[in-house]
Amino acid sequence: MKYREGKVAKSKLSSKTVPASEALLKMATSWFKKQGWTPFDFQKQTWKAFLEGKHGLLNAPTGSGKTFALWFPIVLNYIRHHPDYKSKHSKGLKAIWITPLRALSQEIRQSAERITTDLQTKLSVGIRSGDTSPKERAKQRRSMPDLLITTPESMHLLLATKGYDDIFRDCTAIVVDEWHELLGTKRGVQMELAISRLKTIAPKLRIWGISATIGNLEQAREVLLGTQSETLRNSILIKAELDKKITVRSIIPATMEKFPWRGHLGLHLLEEVIPIINQSRTTLLFTNTRSQCEIWFQKILEKHPEFAGEIAMHHGSISKETRIWVEQAIRDEQLKAVVCTSSLDLGVDFAPVETVVQIGGPKGVARFLQRAGRSGHRPGKESIIYFLPTHAIELIEASALQQAVKKHAVEDRIPYLNSFDVLVQYLTTLAVSDGFLPEIIYKEVTGTFCFQAMSRDEWQWLLHFIVMGSQSLQTYDEYKKVIIDSNGRFLVENKGIAMRHRFQIGTIVGDANLTVRYIRGGYIGTIEESFISKLTAGDVFTFAGRNLEFIRLKEMQVHVRNSSKKTSKVPSWMGGRLTLSAQMSELLRQELYSAPEGTISKESKEKQPSLEIQALAPLFERQRLESIVPGPGEFLIESFKTQDGYHHIFYPFEGRFVHEAMGSLLSYRISLLSPITFSLAFNDYGFELLSDKGIDMQAVLDNDLFTTRHLLDDLYLSLNATEMARRKFRDIAVISGMVFTGYPEKGIKMKHLQSNSQLLFDVFREYEPENLLFRQAFRETFEHQLEEGRLRLALERIQSQEVVWKPCKYPTPFSFPIITDRLREKLSSEKLADRIARMSARLNRR
Amino acid sequence: MTQTLRIRDQNLILHPSGGLYLEEHTLLIISDVHLGKISHFRKYGAAVPAMAIQRNFELLDEIVNFFRPQKICFLGDLFHSHLNCEWVYFEDWVIKTAVQFTLVSGNHDIISPLRYESLGITVSPQLVQSGFLLTHYPNELSDLFNISGHVHPAVRLSGSGRQSLRLPCFFKRGNQLILPAFGAFTGTHLMEVESDDEVFAIADASVIKI
Repeated sequence: MKYREGKVAKSKLSSKTVPASEALLKMATSWFKKQGWTPFDFQKQTWKAFLEGKHGLLNAPTGSGKTFALWFPIVLNYIRHHPDYKSKHSKGLKAIWITPLRALSQEIRQSAERITTDLQTKLSVGIRSGDTSPKERAKQRRSMPDLLITTPESMHLLLATKGYDDIFRDCTAIVVDEWHELLGTKRGVQMELAISRLKTIAPKLRIWGISATIGNLEQAREVLLGTQSETLRNSILIKAELDKKITVRSIIPATMEKFPWRGHLGLHLLEEVIPIINQSRTTLLFTNTRSQCEIWFQKILEKHPEFAGEIAMHHGSISKETRIWVEQAIRDEQLKAVVCTSSLDLGVDFAPVETVVQIGGPKGVARFLQRAGRSGHRPGKESIIYFLPTHAIELIEASALQQAVKKHAVEDRIPYLNSFDVLVQYLTTLAVSDGFLPEIIYKEVTGTFCFQAMSRDEWQWLLHFIVMGSQSLQTYDEYKKVIIDSNGRFLVENKGIAMRHRFQIGTIVGDANLTVRYIRGGYIGTIEESFISKLTAGDVFTFAGRNLEFIRLKEMQVHVRNSSKKTSKVPSWMGGRLTLSAQMSELLRQELYSAPEGTISKESKEKQPSLEIQALAPLFERQRLESIVPGPGEFLIESFKTQDGYHHIFYPFEGRFVHEAMGSLLSYRISLLSPITFSLAFNDYGFELLSDKGIDMQAVLDNDLFTTRHLLDDLYLSLNATEMARRKFRDIAVISGMVFTGYPEKGIKMKHLQSNSQLLFDVFREYEPENLLFRQAFRETFEHQLEEGRLRLALERIQSQEVVWKPCKYPTPFSFPIITDRLREKLSSEKLADRIARMSARLNRR
Repeated sequence: MTQTLRIRDQNLILHPSGGLYLEEHTLLIISDVHLGKISHFRKYGAAVPAMAIQRNFELLDEIVNFFRPQKICFLGDLFHSHLNCEWVYFEDWVIKTAVQFTLVSGNHDIISPLRYESLGITVSPQLVQSGFLLTHYPNELSDLFNISGHVHPAVRLSGSGRQSLRLPCFFKRGNQLILPAFGAFTGTHLMEVESDDEVFAIADASVIKI
């Protein structure tokens, strides 16, 4: 185990801090002894650093005892300042524990209560989240628990309470658990803002984060503690390097010829999984999407009814009660297998899990390692993870994962910059509670990582926006939100606006979700509106492992009853699509380049390619019939015609998001050569431009269309034609309070205020294109969706490669997974009327 | 850019803004404008660009200048909600336009008829014009040819190369013509097209028969 001190940890401040009392630390170690445990070094280091008054980031995996690393010093610190802690109790909030998942709060509470009780303190532990009853919440407002476990959203709701500064005044610690999960999200920005406020109102506060291993741990610490802050200078990064052996085993199909080329969810390999399940106590099967999860669960039961009652399903749309039941059943070792999604990635320690199966590419090394770590959950024990490819080419990914695990190539989580939507929400939150003075809040906000580069002008714009709702004045306007009182304080007076804002805080992300209920009551889960809108009454669909008949849609609720009919309809959830990280893409290309020409003799002195690559030999052979398997210096383009139209396929092997950008860019540039309409498809290996006419590939190559010159301008223009920014705008509009989502689960409707963010996007484009929130949609598209930085590097790489263009007769094995993808983007430079003229023959009549 | 239909010996001219002109009657029919929607949102704290409020009036001016009608009939959902500041803009526009107005009221029209009447606008549940029945909701009960709104019809077209388009449209089925929503800040509803239906889609600045 190693221990690394923060860069400036030995600053002048440390001399001022109270030395950690040996007696206090002894209380902790003797507690461990009583349990028959020895504290890990990282735990002792964290206790000491905390008691010395330091802030910090603890890098420790799930199941390592990280909760004890931070609950202990919090309680010990209380004991130090309250010597009569056994007999007297000093009221008020002492510490806040932030968890991204409500489901984890019970476990965190249990470990806290163990300490508070065993050390004979009178400290109380409470949970405050979306599940907390209004009665309990009101009770908490009158008298806060000493230790509070909550979520980022509920934290902001507290900031929306009148007199919130009194609540936090004596708070000594805030711990942000699973910080790596929050870091690259807007909920992470919410945390940055909440902490910036707490720093001012709670002078005794220590700030700690807990993070799994990511590429940018140092940056994670900076984001949590604030750029160039005193807090950052007085902080420490502690790493719990618990070495764990991870073995990856690919499930390679016996016969390669029959192996389908397109994604079949991996079901053809179902029988290979059965012995794996039978051999271990509990097996977790991770799928990438909820629909894949539903289908796998169904199919296992269908083919192996003997598992009934012994397998379960777990994903984010299933009701909380069911999920909690499944989690408990895993702990109690009642289940042989659980089919799940990323919903089981976080927290919760499941000792009986012996084996993990990953179905389909996990797309990221960190995620894969985390899942692998789910099995053999004890220090020193080997973790085995099986990889089940859903299509042949994913075996290359499996091979790359082996390398990644060996090299510990873990991705970065990229924090957001200038998330004005979250800031607008936060400023309104402060206006709802006690109001705010801009000068004070400006200093705090610009001290955060997210808003370190925000200009004065942008700040003024935002203030103007929350008060006027627009930059242009109209003769008659009734815009009402934040007002400025005679002292220059920004506040919300209108009760309705305050109420709606509080509702809105919880809905920082998410699509339009509908609750699914039995007609006689009984909540089953949530489902996306887009799926339900395709159903008519009487249709049967599979959800939460049941066959349900759709009866009607009423007030944002889907009414259903059980059905015995068979069905193939499984809801799909958007956003389930992940992309290959830069690290994975690089490893993937390396593996691909290792594909040998012809067969390699076992005696050959050359480095043997991996088992996966060897297994793919028949596929490579087929690919080489008409095309090539590109080597390090080659960039492959294929074109062919089918009844769908003219296919043009490009293979950068850079991951879905970069391909989305490159496809959009290239189609835009081609459309400048002559009017044409494309539909675009992408996967992690390449992208396709499909058109109803052929393109002149030679002209594409001659015109240097892969250049990085004018990259940003061209991307902007291509974006106008495609729809990416539009999708980003949806969340921005909701978060900044321009679109209301209502609160269907609580029966509160705001239908008269529900508008379509798509319409709103169009209105902005026409009337307020300079609006910062509108522009943010584009910026986010560039930075987070299209990964402009990676795109530039990829284009530069392509420029240095030799372009190999292969006109083919038939689709090649590489192209199959792409051309069968139905989720498509559009780009057109043709006149609408011309397109209609050609399409009208195809109006879908009944 | 427009399309003309011959129905019951009358010329019906379909305009790309979504309006319909009965030539022989010099009657312009406009459906589902949803005035006041933007102000309604703003009043409740949703910052829809205020500049967009004027858009509906610009569109109305354009179509009035194009046809120069003597009468205008709104086929319901003229105002989206309660009275708000857009009423003042509407008053100005009515006085300026100076033709004979009728409002066939729809489900969103909750503003008191007295207010319309004081502006000289007749309010009625339906309107009969030599062989035509004008209603807000589509109505199949009468022998008259029904012209209605409410639905905000749109169609999806698809073509080779997996292309597809969604366009607002005039939708004719049997004795019935449904107008698209005229308003700038309104959504659409996708229609299921049957074999005898006639669809006139709005694309850029033209009405195109599909």
